[in-house]
Amino acid sequence: MNSFVDLLISLPELFLVLTAMGMMVAGVYTSAGKAYTLISNAAVLSLFGAIGLVLFAKTGTTLAFNDLFINDGFAQYIKIILLLAAALVILIGDRAVRKIKIAHFEYPILIIFATIGMMLMVSANDLMSLYVGLELQSLALYVVAALNRDSLRSSEAGLKYFVLGALSSGMLLYGCSLIYGYAGTTSFTGLETAVAGASNISLGLLTGLVFLIVGLAFKVAAVPFHMWTPDVYEGAPTPVTAFFAAAPKVASMALFVRITMGPFQGMADQWQQIIIVLSILSMVLAALAAISQTNIKRLMAYSSIGHAGYALIGLGAGTKQGTTAILIYLAIYIVMVIGTFACILCMKRKGNSVEQINDLAGLGKSHPAIAAALLLFMFSMAGIPPLAGFFGKLYIFLAAIEAELYSLAVIGVLSSVVGSFYYLRIVKVMYFDNLSDELDSVTGKRISVIISLCALTILLFFLSPSLLVDSASTAASVLFEK
Amino acid sequence: MMVQAIAFYVFAGVTIASAAMVIGSRNPVHSVLFLILAFFNSAGLFVLMGAEFLAMTLVIVYVGAVAVLFLFVVMMLDINFVKLRQGFLQYLPIGGLIGLVLIVELLMVVSGWVVSPAGLKTAAINSQAIDGVSNTLALGRLIYTEYVYLFQASGLILLIAMLGAIVLTLRQREGVKRQRITDQLDRKPEDSVEIIDVKTGSGV
Amino acid sequence: MAEFFQLYVAPVAWIIGGILAITVPLLLGVAYLTFAERKVIGWIQLRRGPNVVGPFGLLQPIADGLKLFLKETVIPASANRIVFVLAPMITFILALIAWAVIPFGEGLVLADINVGVLYLFAISSLGVYGIIMAGWASNSKYAFLGALRSAAQMVSYEVSIGFVIITVLLAVGSLNLSDIVMAQNGGILHWHFLPLLPMFIVFFISALAETNRAPFDLPEAEAELVSGYNVEYSSMTFAMFFLGEYANMILMSGMTVVLFLGGWLPPFDMHPFTIIPGPIWFVLKIMAVLFLFLWVRATFPRYRYDQLMRLGWKVFLPLSLVFVVLTAGFLLVFDLLPVAGGGK
Repeated sequence: MNSFVDLLISLPELFLVLTAMGMMVAGVYTSAGKAYTLISNAAVLSLFGAIGLVLFAKTGTTLAFNDLFINDGFAQYIKIILLLAAALVILIGDRAVRKIKIAHFEYPILIIFATIGMMLMVSANDLMSLYVGLELQSLALYVVAALNRDSLRSSEAGLKYFVLGALSSGMLLYGCSLIYGYAGTTSFTGLETAVAGASNISLGLLTGLVFLIVGLAFKVAAVPFHMWTPDVYEGAPTPVTAFFAAAPKVASMALFVRITMGPFQGMADQWQQIIIVLSILSMVLAALAAISQTNIKRLMAYSSIGHAGYALIGLGAGTKQGTTAILIYLAIYIVMVIGTFACILCMKRKGNSVEQINDLAGLGKSHPAIAAALLLFMFSMAGIPPLAGFFGKLYIFLAAIEAELYSLAVIGVLSSVVGSFYYLRIVKVMYFDNLSDELDSVTGKRISVIISLCALTILLFFLSPSLLVDSASTAASVLFEK
Repeated sequence: MMVQAIAFYVFAGVTIASAAMVIGSRNPVHSVLFLILAFFNSAGLFVLMGAEFLAMTLVIVYVGAVAVLFLFVVMMLDINFVKLRQGFLQYLPIGGLIGLVLIVELLMVVSGWVVSPAGLKTAAINSQAIDGVSNTLALGRLIYTEYVYLFQASGLILLIAMLGAIVLTLRQREGVKRQRITDQLDRKPEDSVEIIDVKTGSGV
Repeated sequence: MAEFFQLYVAPVAWIIGGILAITVPLLLGVAYLTFAERKVIGWIQLRRGPNVVGPFGLLQPIADGLKLFLKETVIPASANRIVFVLAPMITFILALIAWAVIPFGEGLVLADINVGVLYLFAISSLGVYGIIMAGWASNSKYAFLGALRSAAQMVSYEVSIGFVIITVLLAVGSLNLSDIVMAQNGGILHWHFLPLLPMFIVFFISALAETNRAPFDLPEAEAELVSGYNVEYSSMTFAMFFLGEYANMILMSGMTVVLFLGGWLPPFDMHPFTIIPGPIWFVLKIMAVLFLFLWVRATFPRYRYDQLMRLGWKVFLPLSLVFVVLTAGFLLVFDLLPVAGGGK
């Protein structure tokens, strides 16, 4: 039966949807005290189960549901990153979530639904399925941003995210409708032939593409569409911020790659300029604006804007090498971000979370282990060899140079030098500032394990980079062999 | 047909006029009422196009359900709209400028309307012949076969919307006495009435 | 000239004639429904009911109408005039235009559209606007509270009505009202109310709530809200509400008859019953359902508001939802699904 094959192709998504619905029911029928523990454990298990399903799924490109859904090596690669990020976020956020009393059993379920939305985005092979996936993701994220409903700032973050997110969805949709109007189809395959077949690019199609890129730039928080990021990152509960910084960014970036390298490959000359401008602006503004931040979550927001800028360099190159570099960069970025947020989540004084950079003073003496881990993550983000972050940037810049985008590569290197200032400032505060009130000692086995795993990955990446690089280049090649 | 042309211009004119009044009217309740009028006339336009199923769904969903809740909220909120409008003039120049740029862009885009021939071909493949089939049936065939994936995914979005609304608003307050209908129905005379033989003069 | 006459004047005249043929008897029916209500409740409560004006009090509704007609229209000083006057008109007009798609007999329908059920559903979902606008425009606490109650109530019960309609549609395979009636051809055993009995009951109770009738007449709960959304109304504006409300009652009865009681079809498909023309059967059935409306009003005390909401959302909604699935499953398993396009 044809429909059965379709279901098999989308098995990981289907599995997650069904388990999430099952958890919703289970959560309602479990007593309020136990529900969160049960559901969050089940959620982590089902996310790992989905990773297994993705890993053991048939390789090769398959289309399903009347060509609306595509499963290929690229999608699988991104999906594994996404699922891993979601599972780790639920694990590291466990204690913090209980502490700020947002331990509703719906929280892990919403995270799962957001992840499903991202998986649908990554697997989109049609403008309509793209939009549906994007909305699924966004709606779940709006809710988790406002999850701490007793906190004014969390509600504000949710509202801001919602209003600007809705605006960006509107832009994206407007772009989609223009593209449909001028190309006569919404399917990526159809668009590809339409773009390739046209003797001269029509203005309408181009305008549509610009709106589409604007919508996506909102989602990856590239300057000048980044305004919401610092406020939302600061206001949202910290575990949720960790998720925001990790998964949606990767998914939107993957979508960016899928669209520009897929159906609009034929218009590369046009969109490359936009991407390059977005990339330069993001890198420079993030490097400059982050310097004056005092709140570590805001700092991470600017850092994530900067990282989006670096990843966009790879896209601007528009080559297979660039795409591979993006995929490598994203994987490393996820590890760094999760590790950093795990450290931030450990920052507590007398049981309450603190999030000012000054609160880190003296961490090197009071908590040498966690300080060392944070030091590694910061050095890695700054791009200091031989840590993983250095390799991520290296591949990106190499791709840019290969594509003869020398000025872009130079600006990238310069802004990463400026950017390293604020990463190093954290290190300075940790090791050279006087001890203020001592922070609580780290509690929780899971979070310590995750921090050490992330730190080890970052530290030992240089031993065999080919592990990641090979799979990334296989995933990227899917988009280029046609 | 002349009648159809007249009907089109009436519906279209009223839609646009009431859409303008949604923004223009001073009273927010009037705005919502004009919004409803706009919905209603759009439904009329759908009927003229022969899309009667969409027209009715528009009325049922938007006018019958969404706008009622809108009206509810607007009537209950005590917002000082005069105050809200104070910033309006201040932002008018920049807003107008953006609007102008968008209009110019749109005009440029529309004037260069070229649909790629390859696209036309793909579009032709996808559309089925719907002659002699009622609107409802044609839509149903598409939604439940070709677009079942989108249909189900949209269902998921609605599920999240519901879940989100519940998470963000439902509060389990302590010490609230609730009516338990099943308990009330389960009550038997033996549970609530005790019959005691009282001896005269001794009391209970 | 002759062509113009043929193209435009004749069809327009035909349509206007049709509209008059429906509305005039309908308004008379409304007038005598109020009379019947007072009589029936009178008898149930062992009273006589109106019996002074005319023989058996038959001229009572005319006298009532005349009284309302001759009174002064009062518009409160602080009311929002336009909306205030618009509200009763909307209620009244909506109650009338819904009748355009009701089939009185085979082919006896003003507009035999494909989506008749949806049209009816759409119009009945609009009814809430007349009430909510009236409540708001009156600028009075009681009116506003009544309007809010009413709006919430109507929106809630519309959901279950929608699902009930879907179960009927599943069994028929068409949204056309004539098709729905014809699908019940073949005597009382083929009418939908038997196989869909739970849905028939849900529909009838929801219809009571939808028309704000006892025991769900909280919007006008005299004891607490004096008269609800229409306190500030007088004379013809009030009369329009009154007429609209009763016309809606007849409409909901008509819908019940079309969806569940075989429309214009006779109860037994044999000789003495088939002589009587369809429209008469239709009217008789409507009267029977209307009697149920009155009977319920005379028998049951008013619901409390939270109980009303509970009934709608926690009982009817899940019940009708489950029944939609059950019906669909049953039809699928036993291969009884109607052929797409209409008819069984």
